[in-house]
Amino acid sequence: MKDPRDIIIAPHISERSMMDMEENWYTFKVAIKANKPEIKKAIEKIFDVNVEKVTTNRMPGKKRRMGYTQGKTSNWKKARVKLAEGDSIEIFEGV
Amino acid sequence: MKVSKENIEENKVELVIEVSEDKVASALDKAYKKVVKEVNIPGFRKGKVPKSILIKKFGAEVLHKDALDILIPEAYYEAVQETEIEPIAQPDITDVFIEAGKPAKFTAEVEVKPEVELGEYKELGIEKEEVNVSDEQVEEELNHKRGHHAQLVATDRAEVQEGDHTVIDFEGFLDGEAFEGGAGEDYNLEIGSGQFIPGFEEQLVGVKVGEEVEVNVTFPEEYNAENLAGQDAVFKVTVKEIKVKEMPELDDEFAKDLEFETLDELKADIKEKIAAREETRVNREFENKLVDAIADNTEVNIPETMVENEIDNMLEGFRYQIMQQGFEFDQYLEMSGIKEEDIRADYKEAAEKRAKANLVLETIAKNEGIEVSDEDLDEKLAEIAERQGQDKDQIKMFLQMQGQLASLKDSLQMEKTIDFLVENN
Repeated sequence: MKDPRDIIIAPHISERSMMDMEENWYTFKVAIKANKPEIKKAIEKIFDVNVEKVTTNRMPGKKRRMGYTQGKTSNWKKARVKLAEGDSIEIFEGV
Repeated sequence: MKVSKENIEENKVELVIEVSEDKVASALDKAYKKVVKEVNIPGFRKGKVPKSILIKKFGAEVLHKDALDILIPEAYYEAVQETEIEPIAQPDITDVFIEAGKPAKFTAEVEVKPEVELGEYKELGIEKEEVNVSDEQVEEELNHKRGHHAQLVATDRAEVQEGDHTVIDFEGFLDGEAFEGGAGEDYNLEIGSGQFIPGFEEQLVGVKVGEEVEVNVTFPEEYNAENLAGQDAVFKVTVKEIKVKEMPELDDEFAKDLEFETLDELKADIKEKIAAREETRVNREFENKLVDAIADNTEVNIPETMVENEIDNMLEGFRYQIMQQGFEFDQYLEMSGIKEEDIRADYKEAAEKRAKANLVLETIAKNEGIEVSDEDLDEKLAEIAERQGQDKDQIKMFLQMQGQLASLKDSLQMEKTIDFLVENN
């Protein structure tokens, strides 16, 4: 199996993700090719918690312009993970 | 809140102030609410960053400064009330400690009003001057009044004498040429009044009516018009008329002109007015003497700050005076070539005296329990209102807005204290 840290890239922090954390949903940026079972295992391994549910969606990159050239930031995958009751993740160090 | 007080130097107090956790927490909260409006963190709209993220990103210190800005003035004010010290300057705040969930602590070092060791202030045996209005004073005032009502009467004397009022035509020449502003017709000139340049009036003495004479004068060096200053000039002058001042007779007729029935009544009135004026002067002098004497009896070490404050006050008054005369203060300094520091130095002695007198009066007021009640204040306000023809409540509001109600109260207390001293001497 791949290194779980290659699957889970970074915590995703936003107003919404902060609100979701109260419901025990944690949001991450993950490898675009990772699937739900992989994400579940990776999270459980890294943070030593039980994952109940995973939802994923692909986020389109944003259009960026450098002078005359139209560019685009990479697409990426966002995963929201529901932890079992009582578990929590002290993440987001070095945000 | 806990406060401990320590006198570190003469007139200097150190307060160690401790503020409870709740207060710290609420101050931090307020600080957060203020800071959060200013920070931009990706993923959050402005003002929506949670406190935990803010602290992780910038460290807890970002909140501390703002929290202290809220906490310290409040706590310091309370501490001053509690320890009943009377600061005269802004405090030096040092050794500040603040952390969420712990009591905050800081040290405030501040200059306070000095201890006043009052000497004897009652029964000093200072005599008040008696008010006596002598007949000469009345006479003098009466003559003064006569002068005001004097009339110019034509005389048939042919030669000009000192003190005459003449009507003259004149024309001035510089090197044989008439100059601008050097001529006049039917000009009223009192000989000996010093209205014209030196030498001019003197040379007219003895001149006959209708005669044309030449007057040779030299303009003074510091004459206003530059083209004339220091120049020799010749004036052709014709005296057209001579008038003398005639004083009105001192009789009931004169009194009637001044809206009195008889001369005696007029005299009585003058006497009364002089007496009233003298009375105020004597009272003022007596009060000053009293305060001076008490101040001399008093041991006190006046801190520099108080003197400086007093100088500031005096300077402010001076500035106001200058403005009343229609000058800008800076402009005045430039014109007169005086520096602000010089004025300050000049004021220093008087300021020291004033500061001491104020301290003395304050201490006496405290000792004797002299206080200004709301009624006293109301009375004074009503008085001011009447003088200025305005509504009492309006005046009150105006003063309150300017924060001057307190100083009005202070000055009232001072007045009352002086009254007390006058009574007890």
